[in-house]
Amino acid sequence: MDEDVLTTLKILIIGESGVGKSSLLLRFTDDTFDPELAATIGVDFKVKTISVDGNKAKLAIWDTAGQERFRTLTPSYYRGAQGVILVYDVTRRDTFVKLDNWLNELETYCTRNDIVNMLVGNKIDKENREVDRNEGLKFARKHSMLFIEASAKTCDGVQCAFEELVEKIIQTPGLWESENQNKGMKLSHREESHGGGACGGYCSVL
Amino acid sequence: MLTRVKSAVANFMGGIMAGSSGSEHGGGGCGGSDLPLRFPYGRPEFLGLSPDEVECSADHIARPILILKETRRLPWATGYAEVINAGKSTHNEDQASCEVLTVKKKAGAITSTPNRNSKRRSSLPNGEGLQLKENSESEGVSCHYWSLFDGHAGSGAAVVASRLLQQHLTEQLQDIVEILRNSAVLPPTCLGEEPEGAPPSSRTLTRAASLRGGAGAPGSPGTPATRFFTEKKIPHECLVIGALESAFKEMDLQIERERNSYNISGGCTALIVVCLLGKLYVANAGDSRAIIIRNGEIIPMSSEFTPETERQRLQYLAFMQPHLLGNEFTHLEFPRRVQRKELGKKMLYRDFNMTGWAYKTIEDDDLKFPLIYGEGKKVRVYDLTKYDHGADDVLILATDGLWDVLSNEEVAEAITQFLPNCDPDDPHRYTLAAQDLVMRARGVLKDRGWRISNDRLGSGDDISVYVIPLIHGNKLS
Repeated sequence: MDEDVLTTLKILIIGESGVGKSSLLLRFTDDTFDPELAATIGVDFKVKTISVDGNKAKLAIWDTAGQERFRTLTPSYYRGAQGVILVYDVTRRDTFVKLDNWLNELETYCTRNDIVNMLVGNKIDKENREVDRNEGLKFARKHSMLFIEASAKTCDGVQCAFEELVEKIIQTPGLWESENQNKGMKLSHREESHGGGACGGYCSVL
Repeated sequence: MLTRVKSAVANFMGGIMAGSSGSEHGGGGCGGSDLPLRFPYGRPEFLGLSPDEVECSADHIARPILILKETRRLPWATGYAEVINAGKSTHNEDQASCEVLTVKKKAGAITSTPNRNSKRRSSLPNGEGLQLKENSESEGVSCHYWSLFDGHAGSGAAVVASRLLQQHLTEQLQDIVEILRNSAVLPPTCLGEEPEGAPPSSRTLTRAASLRGGAGAPGSPGTPATRFFTEKKIPHECLVIGALESAFKEMDLQIERERNSYNISGGCTALIVVCLLGKLYVANAGDSRAIIIRNGEIIPMSSEFTPETERQRLQYLAFMQPHLLGNEFTHLEFPRRVQRKELGKKMLYRDFNMTGWAYKTIEDDDLKFPLIYGEGKKVRVYDLTKYDHGADDVLILATDGLWDVLSNEEVAEAITQFLPNCDPDDPHRYTLAAQDLVMRARGVLKDRGWRISNDRLGSGDDISVYVIPLIHGNKLS
């Protein structure tokens, strides 16, 4: 519709070390991939404006360090987030198992209960998969999260992930309007977590 | 003494006349001035943040700790971390810069030395022995530079100082670089004056004598009075210290001048470290602090303003010349910064004519920024060559956001616990250490606010920390 930025959204990316959080972000913002990307040791910020359904949204994306030793740094970072992307590596089962811990963290530190969560299973380009898509889907459904599988390397599903997340946030009443940001709002319905519906042919359906 | 205090007050970077050029109440931004900003607000250049990222990270609730990115390196593998305040000002009013300056003698300039004895040396090239002639024209001297500024009543002065002070320093050093180069031999001011001087000096003398009328001699710089230094090393250090102090003064003058054309808000403290020819020089004006932690030992490298008599003089001065305060400051001293919620309550205070303390009811005027912010520039010198530093020996520079809640001992303990647990080859180890320190001072956000160890209240101020490994100082040629 119009070219004005509708809103600025704060998105957080969390997950075990090495699952590809920074790579997903780099693919999304710069459309590049670096196999030697160094481990994040603090928090990196990237800003990108995208259009979803004619709405322009400026995304302030916080890319956090996944290593255990940085865990004490991140709790305050959840404040004010409208969306959280939780990433695991489909070729490493331990990163999937740890998701419960991350959800715990999310629950503990998020100050509002209507933020939109998205589960991303990354590295689908690799062989030796250890987590089936169905497992991921099931986990996401159980926890009322959006779900998608992706590959930062091949760019599969990356754009889709962010677009879907933003779309959902915009659809959630009270979540993104800035005046309402700190008020508690009613829970949105999130049973319908699924992958790729809005993006048409974009997303991989494995 | 009072003169020194007066000039020191004036030299307090950017002056205290914050009110004169559109200071921002509550910090940051454009304030009430129509003048353009001298520089746009930003974070230290070495952090490499885009304006969007700066905005993103200026989150007073989440207070993310910003560190040097994984892809960036500072000289000496210096580590850096900072965090924004919890709401006291829109902007993070700390600033920092870190670079390697190359100081070359100004083309065609006559090097001026304060105490040249020109008796029979009228044709001697200034401060140069024969061995210098070959390289004096081409090479510059490397000067490592770290700076930290803590702005108040506005971020402008700190931003300007973080960009320009090093230029003033370079200019000042240019005048003396040739003399400094001769650190291996007696300073030229002693040439011809110290018969008991070291052999290299005599050798230089001989050659100098033979150079009389030699090519390229720029001529003597007049006939200043002869001075004797009993300690041969002092002159070099004195020159560098003088250069630092002059740089401060020139920076301050520039800010004052430019306030006519630009909106430069507020004032700032300044903590500068310079490494030149094997020595560290630490100059501090304000309440930032520098300490060396070496083999677990704490070596303070800066002093903050505390002397009783100076306090009283400063307060008296401010009382007598209230225009210095603009509308921004109170000359009363309180045990801690008065907060709005204390309006109407009685708090301990001290005025210029008091040595004791009394209670007064807090009024609006008392909320103004305290004049007693810290001053007193003393430059401390540390000879890097005198000690074989290990990878865990560091110089810590930080603004008062850190020191308000952590003692030197706590900081030393944190560092001595942290660094040995870091891979010695990890290029980020000092940044991680800086991040750890900032974390310890900022604390963790709980229901009752930011809490640090022992459930103490964390620092709500801007916090900026450098961790500078001294081992790199030993690697200098």
